[in-house]
Amino acid sequence: MKKVLRDKRGQFVIIAVLMIAVMIISIGALMHRAVTYYKHEPWEEYLALIGNIELNSKRLVELSLANYSHTLNQKNLKINLERWKADISNIYVGRDASLSYELANRSYTVDGTSVKYLFGLNYSWFKPKSFTAANATFMLNVTAIGLTGYKFTVLAFLNLTILNVTTNNITITVKAEDKMPVAGLEKENFQVKFGNTVISIVSVKSCYDNKEALIYIIECAQNISTPVTVEVSDLRGIKVVAQYP
Amino acid sequence: MALERVSLIANKGQMRVIEVILASFVIVFALSFANILAVTPTSSKYEATELEKMGYNTLYDLDKQGLLADFVYNKQWDKLQAALRVLLPLEVHFNLTIYYLNGTEVNEAPIFYGDRETFLNSKNVASVTYCLCGYSTIGSAIYDPRILVLQLVRG
Repeated sequence: MKKVLRDKRGQFVIIAVLMIAVMIISIGALMHRAVTYYKHEPWEEYLALIGNIELNSKRLVELSLANYSHTLNQKNLKINLERWKADISNIYVGRDASLSYELANRSYTVDGTSVKYLFGLNYSWFKPKSFTAANATFMLNVTAIGLTGYKFTVLAFLNLTILNVTTNNITITVKAEDKMPVAGLEKENFQVKFGNTVISIVSVKSCYDNKEALIYIIECAQNISTPVTVEVSDLRGIKVVAQYP
Repeated sequence: MALERVSLIANKGQMRVIEVILASFVIVFALSFANILAVTPTSSKYEATELEKMGYNTLYDLDKQGLLADFVYNKQWDKLQAALRVLLPLEVHFNLTIYYLNGTEVNEAPIFYGDRETFLNSKNVASVTYCLCGYSTIGSAIYDPRILVLQLVRG
């Protein structure tokens, strides 16, 4: 019995096993920390929340511009953004989301065109190259996730250019922000007038052009007298009126 | 003398057996403890967060394509339900309710997929709130927000 108690080879095995156990537990704890650190922060969820507010703020500017182009109410954008700001705080009350905005109130150059904004809105119509534009800068804070000062600018723009007028055809180009040609416009999106007389449209065809990328050819039911006005409302409801010559 | 030698060898062997048993206990204890700490990707602890992310991304994708506002403001509930069924995994059950700003429900018909019992019994029901500012067409453009509350549960 005394020999068994004095035997030291057995103790070595026990100590070795204990060390292995400590290593297993340490690796387990480290892995636990690593996994929980990345899993506890739902980044994608926050990004989607920010994306939701950013996307709908953009939609609101476009919607306000569409409204402005039909009513010419210069306060339209400001009124809508004030309501949106209040509603965002109420909808995301648990996340402490707050949105502030600043409307453009000076001259900016948009795609080579000088636009002098007033309350974030402006239009220049009855010219061969006409446009309607809106510009607002937003600042988003979501206190619950520690996000402050997330800034984004929304520009809504629609340009209508009358390129050529022949006997009963009008060639135009319609472009949105970043000179992107607007596709998918049909007969219902256009109106042609001579003075106060509406000229009926037979068809609207779109085709590729080397210089403008996409052009529309409006075929009218009668011969066109100048000056002729062309009105377009895009899929967002934004209206522009151009006149030729 | 020979008998004493046999006895000593026998004692040594018993000690080895005891050592192995003790060592096995230590290893089993360590593995069990490490297993408690381990958090697998499918852990129920994160299930609600995963579902929330999934729900947000689904609604955001639909909104970015311009489909969500079209379905909601034109009250095309069947199309909205079909779109959610296509975008969400088959085992994820959902219940979407749309509200006006004053809290009144917009959708008279339920936009629902799955088993109602699952929503009542599951411990991990995720809820996602998404808002829409309004809808514009050629004729009209009105600021009229809608609040979408999407509940998700894995069936």
